[in-house]
Amino acid sequence: MGEAHRRITDYLNKFSDAVSYQDVASLAQLFSFSSNSPSLLSLADALNYFQDANRLIKQSDKFSQFGEILAPIFRSLQSYRLGNLVDSYHAFEKFANAFIQEFRNWESAWALEALYVIAYEIRVLAERADRELASNGKSPEKLKGAGSFLMKVFGVLAGKGPKRVGALYVTCQLFKIYFKLGTVHLCRSVIRSIETARIFDFEEFPRRDKVTYMYYTGRLEVFNENFPAAEHKLSYALTHCNPLREANIRMILKYLIPVKLSLGILPKAWLLEKYNLLEYSNVVQALKRGDLRLLRHALQEHEDQFLRSGVYLVLEKLELQVYQRLVKKIYFIQKQKDPSKAHQLKLDVIVKALKWLEMDMDLDEVECIMTILIYKNLVKGYFAHKSKVVVLSKQDPFPKLNGKPVNS
Amino acid sequence: MTTEQTKSSTEDVKMDLFEDDDEFEEFDIEEEWADKEEGKEVTQQWEDDWDDDDVTDDFSLQLRRELENNTSKN
Repeated sequence: MGEAHRRITDYLNKFSDAVSYQDVASLAQLFSFSSNSPSLLSLADALNYFQDANRLIKQSDKFSQFGEILAPIFRSLQSYRLGNLVDSYHAFEKFANAFIQEFRNWESAWALEALYVIAYEIRVLAERADRELASNGKSPEKLKGAGSFLMKVFGVLAGKGPKRVGALYVTCQLFKIYFKLGTVHLCRSVIRSIETARIFDFEEFPRRDKVTYMYYTGRLEVFNENFPAAEHKLSYALTHCNPLREANIRMILKYLIPVKLSLGILPKAWLLEKYNLLEYSNVVQALKRGDLRLLRHALQEHEDQFLRSGVYLVLEKLELQVYQRLVKKIYFIQKQKDPSKAHQLKLDVIVKALKWLEMDMDLDEVECIMTILIYKNLVKGYFAHKSKVVVLSKQDPFPKLNGKPVNS
Repeated sequence: MTTEQTKSSTEDVKMDLFEDDDEFEEFDIEEEWADKEEGKEVTQQWEDDWDDDDVTDDFSLQLRRELENNTSKN
């Protein structure tokens, strides 16, 4: 009994001392459930054994002034230890709300790192609570609730004072929630605040948060097919990410590569190998060759993967660029044989090439494709309809993308 | 569909909602790293000069052979 009593009082003292001395490192450790630290776990055991922690809290002003914060975190920890994650989440949310009330009263930003820990813990606890709900056939809604809580926290940080640099971390936790729930449209309002509110200067935020932010907003740009913006953001994330964090770098590249391909820029083979992104190898090869069959094969082979990450449509649209490359090759082959006639591409030559690539198309379909290529400025020339010939411009008949997306 | 099947397929849908394969790993609060040398490594990862006039690769040679082939019918 004495040991349990001691452990609980120990924690209470740590908490109140941390606040008195503004010792954020010590404070943050007190809430970090997911660390499963021996001290937290043994405290949880002590609480479950002692069963009357509230009495200890009320014993002294030193602790009772924080009663609204301490009582729920004890309850949360107890439930956590017993594997009742839904209960644990409920209590943690109460704790977190009470903490925020206190946090607002502290003028300086000394406790920001503790707030980060709380934001992280509430998210992962909510995820676990939702898994528990789902496994019991109930509707999972704790993660959504954690999202609402974090929006509140964002509001607390979105002011003129020094606490505002914490807003980007909270934003990134919100992104993780919204992406997980598939409610990415909810990202819009925080993004608007971060990018347009005058109180925020993007450069002031910690680098690690900027990297995470650019990764997620870059992904959103990919979904919206804004390739220049996607390239800018994902490249930022890539350049500024800790190079030792290979898993993160891989994730950035997973989305950046399709974007780059859409802009006519190819990743080098060693990049795909180093970060295990070989699902793109055949796509790259198809673009280089002008090999439509290979592109289709590559899309089929990794269809599930590409659909899951949402890049399938982006890659599918590369088809036009592959057509351009194929037609260009036909042009050069013809040029080698007879330079004077090279600028006239007979449609049936293209049909023949396509047939070889297992794409059975008739003259009308190929005419349609060539018209599209011309319309989108991938081919410069005009279509002599009667003779079924594409007459290529003498100058720059196959304009390069030069880092710009194909005209939409 | 039996109620059991309905339940498990709704559960599947719900479990799907819990997935984002590409959740960015958290950086530690104290994590520090040196900024990469400006431009050097980044520019070596990509090529934009691949779209050349070379038709000596295998694919192009096969393509040429195919086009020169006088098949009996289109």
